Amino acid sequence: MHTYEIFLKKDGQEEYRHAGSIDAPDDELALLLARENYLRRAEGDLLWMVDRTHLLVGDRDFVAPNSDKPHRDNDGLLVAAHRKSQREAQ
Amino acid sequence: MTSMTPGTAEFLLAFADDEHLMGQQHTEWIGIAPFLEEDMAFASIAQDELSHAALLYAIVADNGQGGPPDDRAIDTLAFDRSAADYRSAQIVEVACTGWAHALVRHWLYDTAEELRWSLVDGSSLEPLRDAAAHAAREERFHVRHADGLIDVLAHTPDSADRLADAVNALLPLATGLFEPVAGEAEAIEAGVTSAPFDTMLPEWTDRVRARFPEIDIGAIAAPAYAGRAQRHGDFAALMARMNEVRGIDPTAVW
Repeated sequence: MHTYEIFLKKDGQEEYRHAGSIDAPDDELALLLARENYLRRAEGDLLWMVDRTHLLVGDRDFVAPNSDKPHRDNDGLLVAAHRKSQREAQ
Repeated sequence: MTSMTPGTAEFLLAFADDEHLMGQQHTEWIGIAPFLEEDMAFASIAQDELSHAALLYAIVADNGQGGPPDDRAIDTLAFDRSAADYRSAQIVEVACTGWAHALVRHWLYDTAEELRWSLVDGSSLEPLRDAAAHAAREERFHVRHADGLIDVLAHTPDSADRLADAVNALLPLATGLFEPVAGEAEAIEAGVTSAPFDTMLPEWTDRVRARFPEIDIGAIAAPAYAGRAQRHGDFAALMARMNEVRGIDPTAVW
């Protein structure tokens, strides 16, 4: 058995969204089983499936070290505070 | 509008009964199919077959007028006739308690069903034409589903043996799908169907041989019809299961 990840999209501007996963012996059956398990109530108009072993995965160590860099949060608050203090000093 | 003769009604009932009992038998695998995804898939296919049966019963119930379906009238045809009045083939009545048998029956039945709908897609009965178009969209997935599973299992030694046993056991009953009811001639006369269903038997036989090339299936060229007017020994128990809940209150509105 292979595990496949399933993504569905409705017509229109909505993006593909992860719907779940499925076990199947091969690609052909995976498509048919996905159709009968995830689309029985017309949950999507388009389907993407990918064998989980074909996913490129960024693990936690690879992703994590960027959680302590507030200077990249460009919300303008520090600049606003600086300008305000400059105005008040004049 | 074509008015429906008793023969045409019998022709449609035989078709409807096959779809109804096949759908029911497939639903009984919910929860016990070999893996979770197959549970759902097989039950979805079962629902498709039951919906085909409902379309056909509805045509009989309102004499082919194409009005809105009357659920109570459909239920009466589906559940309340005496056993002798059913026209189902024995392949849809027999209990298949092993998965290999259920899967092989699914393939044999749906391969025949696809051919069967093709005979009525230009029917003089408009609601039957509509039903044929509806069914054709679903049937290609049914056959692919059965093919997909058999493709995998046929190359697994133990599974291949089980499939072969199932084919040998079920083929004689499956040919009974092509047995005509007396009313078929009237249905052809009225343009309800284009030809006798058994004219499709050679095509079906070719597909069976292509699907199971390792199995000696010489006998199916000469089918021994078991009788659409005669119920298989497993029919009564099947009917009892189907009516178990409905029998508590047959007039309940669902």
